[in-house]
Amino acid sequence: MPRDDAKNLAALCADVDALAGANLETVLATLPNWDSLAVLLTISHFEHTHAVGITATQLRSCRTVRDLLAHLPR
Amino acid sequence: MHSSLSNIRISCLAVSTGSVVRDFRADGLAAGIDPAQLERVAKAIGLRERRVAAPGVTTLDLCEDAARRLLEEMAVDPTSIDALIFVTQTPDYLQPNNSSLLQARLGLCKSVAAFDITQGCSGWIYGLHQAALLCSHGAARVLVCAGDTLSHQTDPKDTATHPIFGDAGSATLVEKTGSESAMHFIFGTDGSGAPAIMVPTGGARQPVAAGAPGAYLKMDGAEVFNFALREVPPAVAGVLKLAGWTPATADRLVLHQANRFVVSAVARKCGFPDAKCPMDLVEQFGNQSSASIPAALVHACGSTLQEQPLKIAACGYGVGLSWGAAAFTIGPVVVPPMLPFPRR
Repeated sequence: MPRDDAKNLAALCADVDALAGANLETVLATLPNWDSLAVLLTISHFEHTHAVGITATQLRSCRTVRDLLAHLPR
Repeated sequence: MHSSLSNIRISCLAVSTGSVVRDFRADGLAAGIDPAQLERVAKAIGLRERRVAAPGVTTLDLCEDAARRLLEEMAVDPTSIDALIFVTQTPDYLQPNNSSLLQARLGLCKSVAAFDITQGCSGWIYGLHQAALLCSHGAARVLVCAGDTLSHQTDPKDTATHPIFGDAGSATLVEKTGSESAMHFIFGTDGSGAPAIMVPTGGARQPVAAGAPGAYLKMDGAEVFNFALREVPPAVAGVLKLAGWTPATADRLVLHQANRFVVSAVARKCGFPDAKCPMDLVEQFGNQSSASIPAALVHACGSTLQEQPLKIAACGYGVGLSWGAAAFTIGPVVVPPMLPFPRR
């Protein structure tokens, strides 16, 4: 896993409780707490940690954690 | 739209809330929601209690109570009011408007100008601006009543939206004066986002009986959060610039009290620390829609405002999608305590 991905994944999992223990291939829909609160927490994480605005529509189109992180600038 | 108006002041604020206390955890348990999930949401979003209107109590009743207390506290003759503005999305009837009904209840003059503004969470800023405009063009004293009873308009089975809303009515007295500083306003609208907060039926497009499926408020919280993060910070920065203030020199940022999570996130992006941004109200009273900014002023700043002036930046944002920001100095002013209606 590239160092950026590992670092970004760790930061995301620390802020979004539903992602605790997830890896890049984790399918979001399989997480028991991947719900409307998790979506809010993820939007907030992107905004405040990365200054990246991810829309609810973009977020809901993500299948895996890797898809989420793909919205961060490389 | 940007607007700056001078020689106007807010001279009194009063807020009346619903009288029924609903406990988020108790209601959730009664609805069969998993206790761990309830705790998770309560902690993250900041949901604890809310005050809702008793059955049969409407926004008009709550605003009438707030207005009567304001007039009593200020010893204002109701016939001295030049205009009455009623801001709500939950009027008593489709016709007539609430302002006409309240004019009669309060015994205001027949010469009063009375009209409603159909706005939600941005509505108090709209009402304040209209009052300031009227005071700039001939009116001496304008009463702005803003409130909603959205708890009656949400589906009890909608566990994402129903537990959020409380009910309240506010009254704000705006007066022309020769000595106060300016009020600055910025407004914006993005109707392309309208479906994010909507009562789909019950209007002329899809008329149905109240309470029928679809007559409830639907809200996409994530879309609204995106909207707030996108539009509120530039609006707040804009009114601060108009006022010549910064987050360091303004005393408070009073945001629409959507919930603690949203208020904290938006305040942070506006460059304000949590300590300058009231957000306790919503955990105790719920999201009070158009009454939430005056309620936050009364709840968090009321005792200070009775003693000294504060430089306030405020921003309402919500249904429309619509937003309005204002920067003004307020105080010392009369601030009666926030009370439930009906009182026991």
